[in-house]
Formats: sequence, structure tokens, C-alpha cells
Amino acid sequence: MSGIGYSTRRFAFSAGHRYWVDAWSAEENERVFGRLVIPHGHNYTVDVTIRGAIDPTTGMVIDLGELKRLVGEVVVERFDHADLNADPLFRGRVPTTENIALVIWDIIAAKLGRERLWQVRVWEDPTLYVDYRGEGAEADGLRGEGGESPSPSFRGRT
Amino acid sequence: MRPLELTRVYHFSAAHKLENPALSGDANAALYGACARDHGHNYYLEVTVAGTPHPQTGMAFDLGRLDAVVREEILDRVDHHALHTVPALAGVITTGESLARAFWEQLVTKLPPRALARVTVVETAKNRFEYRGEPS
Repeated sequence: MSGIGYSTRRFAFSAGHRYWVDAWSAEENERVFGRLVIPHGHNYTVDVTIRGAIDPTTGMVIDLGELKRLVGEVVVERFDHADLNADPLFRGRVPTTENIALVIWDIIAAKLGRERLWQVRVWEDPTLYVDYRGEGAEADGLRGEGGESPSPSFRGRT
Repeated sequence: MRPLELTRVYHFSAAHKLENPALSGDANAALYGACARDHGHNYYLEVTVAGTPHPQTGMAFDLGRLDAVVREEILDRVDHHALHTVPALAGVITTGESLARAFWEQLVTKLPPRALARVTVVETAKNRFEYRGEPS
């Protein structure tokens, strides 16, 4: 028997952040981000999904214990009770839920290979989550693209 | 470009019953069983939009706008109402599948082109219905 399976393991960390662009003045940050410039925090939940062949010997796509160890080391230990804005990975990137999903994808993909990593889902709270499946991951599109398009409003964010 | 999807989870409580008006009472009871009786659910509605984070602000979508559209188009009309009597759902048999499709149709014209990616109706902790606008 062969076949492709998807296995998901859930992780959690609590971290602080604020919306802030270093290149801007305080007034500009407050105009664009409102109350989100005030440091605050969330209990984040991350669902990591691995895609792969179901191994005929083990019956598994991946040893979820191995995934737990790996993501625990490179994601949870790094971000739990941390100030996300102070992490080098968020230098020049506002730690929005979107960017947190991209950063976590990049960390795990570097360890496991992007062909195995199917999806990273980051929950900021029980009412908002972001799914990223690696589209455009080769080219770092976080900077220098689309600068002319207007940014969405911060309204509705926490 | 690194496109991703944002999902917002909303909640409403509503009464409903499953009834095809073209069928007799007995036929509806036979078809839908207990679901043909008046009852209700604590629904969760997940609305997923596709976008790409803005290079400076890191935000891919205006969640305040999404909240306003969902509230006006759906939540205000269905929360604490009987779904089979809601004018905006006229002609809809209020199964989870059909609600997801109806909500999709209501949202898709109010959001930017190609923004809406998925509408999910969670009827109970055991029943989840997704609609992505695909033609059958």
C-alpha cells in the first residue's frame, strides 16, 4: 500500500509584539497602526502540517515525536515568552500574523525541506488564523515588492 | 509575492429546520428525520480571504472591512433568527452546505475581486461544511 498523507501537530507559544516600522516616525506609526503600536501579547497556536508518502514499514508520514522535538527547538523555544519585535527574523518585518506564518514556514522548511512541509497555520487568537503553503517562498517577497500599493487598514486587528 | 490566506472566525446562534417546500410534511420527516423539527445551533462561520502581505506593514487584508461586510451581510441577518424565515435566505434549504454556498454568494460581490477563498459553516463540533465557489 502506498499513498500520500497529511499529518498535523499543534504547538503553542505566548509572545509579545507590536506593530511598528522602524523607518517611520512615532506619529506615522500611530497614524497607520493605531493602538497596535502599544506592546501587547497573544497566546499563539501553530498547526504544522507535513505531507508525504505513508511509509510502508512504519505506517507514518512523519514521526510526530520527531516533528514535536524539531519545532519545539526551532520555533517554540525561540518565540515562547519572547518579544517578537526584538528577534532578528523580524528585523524590518512587522510581526503581523501573516509575517509570523511566513517566518515559521521558513524556519521549519530549512530543517525539514519545503517538499515535506505542506502548511503552517498560525492562530493569533481563536478568531483569526493565517495559512501559508510556501507559495513564492524561493524569492523573498517580503521586501522591495509592491511598495506602491496601499497597505490595508489596521482596523479589526488585535 | 508570497500569497497566503487569512481566516476570521465569527459566531452566531440561530434556529432552523430542514424542509423542502416542494415535499409533503411526511416526506420531509422521512428525508430529514430529527432535522425536520424546529431546533437550533451555535454556529461558527469562518471566512477566508487570500492576499499577500504588504511589504512594509505586513498586513494582507483589511480585517475591519471584512468584519463590517460579514456583520452587515450575514451576522445581523441571521443571529438569533430562524434561518428558514430570513428573507436573504429565501429558497435556501438551510443545510450547512447550502448555508455556506448562500453566504459565499452574499459575500463575494461585497469583497474585492478574487479575495474570497473559502466560506466554512461549522454547525456543531462534529459537522463542518466548506464552500469555495467551485462550479459543479
